[in-house]
Amino acid sequence: MMNRITAFSTRNVKELMRDPLSYIFCLGFPLIMLLIMTLVDQSIPPESKMTVFHINNLCGGIAMFGQTFIMLFTALTVSKDRSSSFLVRMYATPMTSGDFTLGYIIPMLIISTAQLLLTFTASFIVSLITGVQLTVAGMLLSLISLIPSAVMFTSLGLLFGSLFNDKAAPGLCSIIISLGSFLGSVFFDAEATGGVLLTICKCLPFFYCTKTARSAMALETGAEEFLLPLLIVCISAAVITGLASLAFSSKMKADLS
Amino acid sequence: MNAIETKGLTKKYKEKTAVDSLDITVEKGELFALLGVNGAGKTTTIRMLSCLSAPTSGDASVHGHSVGSEKNAVKEIIGISPQDTAVAENLTVRENLEFMAKVHSADKEKNAARVGKMIELFALSEVENSLAKTLSGGWKRKVSIAMALISEPKVLFLDEPTLGLDVLARRELWKVIRQLKGKITIILTTHYMEEAEELSDRIAIMINGKIAALGTLADIEREAGQTGLENAFVAIAERSVG
Repeated sequence: MMNRITAFSTRNVKELMRDPLSYIFCLGFPLIMLLIMTLVDQSIPPESKMTVFHINNLCGGIAMFGQTFIMLFTALTVSKDRSSSFLVRMYATPMTSGDFTLGYIIPMLIISTAQLLLTFTASFIVSLITGVQLTVAGMLLSLISLIPSAVMFTSLGLLFGSLFNDKAAPGLCSIIISLGSFLGSVFFDAEATGGVLLTICKCLPFFYCTKTARSAMALETGAEEFLLPLLIVCISAAVITGLASLAFSSKMKADLS
Repeated sequence: MNAIETKGLTKKYKEKTAVDSLDITVEKGELFALLGVNGAGKTTTIRMLSCLSAPTSGDASVHGHSVGSEKNAVKEIIGISPQDTAVAENLTVRENLEFMAKVHSADKEKNAARVGKMIELFALSEVENSLAKTLSGGWKRKVSIAMALISEPKVLFLDEPTLGLDVLARRELWKVIRQLKGKITIILTTHYMEEAEELSDRIAIMINGKIAALGTLADIEREAGQTGLENAFVAIAERSVG
């Protein structure tokens, strides 16, 4: 079983690494957003006391924003495979739906980790330039706390790729990218805004991804600030991964009926 | 034991019967061609025999294993080259072969030997480091068949392997298929008469999901009262439809 998962994962990593778009969207775009938002932060007068674009807050938000593009690429990879005869060939091998699911998720998690490392390294450089202090412990904790959300977004990509074709899946992912960045409180402070908007944000897991990462960066590890949001992200990741596995397995059964 | 046996193998899609009570046997090492026009049921038959589609009724066995109840055992001993060239486009030819070898076996040494053997058999050395997406249709078909053979299957399914290829690429592929004859059981679907005539030990003519004629080329010519497979095919098709 392991050899099948490794073989399929390796194929997926190679396919992604050789697609220039994956560099632009998965690695380049989050970095560009980080730089642009840092420039925006520099242009905001200090007396406004707006801290959402300070690198210590921005880093976790942008890292989560980057993960939404991993979702897009997972959905594209899965839906393209399903629409081609490549999966037909693979279905005639001893590969099981579990092999496929892990074979899609594992390489995307590797790429997601690379994306996190790059975003955090760039954030550290920005912090040195802007003079905003980032602690190594905070960065490490924040990076680790973003792994459950990486699983959640990758599984969401697998879910969309399994349920929709290669034309519909990217469109749906674009909606999630927009929702994730807005309702995830990446580019504004939802808690400071409050009201209905905060209530809506709290109904979706994206807000908790950003909150967990930001709290971790500040080494605020209390239940309300860190543990509870992390638990919500972990539960969301587990539920979405379960749904994605079920969706792929059902589609495979339907394809083979 | 025969390589393949089907008993009343049937596939229905709602009201349409794609394959209707198919009863065939294919001997080990035989190259068996399923010949028919588009929609005759050739691909559906191959899909059922390779566990890609469940029969509505009836059953088939591949080397004694039922395609209905022993799917995993069947998948271990078959290779398939689908109608479209199912290769990983951003992988090189060698990587495609290594990938398929690894899916079937964890033995690195055995896999390396198999990859080398396929590159030699299909004369792929000049393109082994080229990305699959850069290859011509003919090369892609060769890679696709090599990928199907990498697990050293007992039965190879070739679904319209020369569809859309120019005459030179087609002849080149025929040469490769001829090399495999006798060593492995091959089920080939095609709607090119000359291909079935050139390559097959036995031919089954499928019309509307049923076997209209089955035998060697001479048997079919005799049954149709015509010379040449094309004439025989037309006569049998007209008789079956009419």
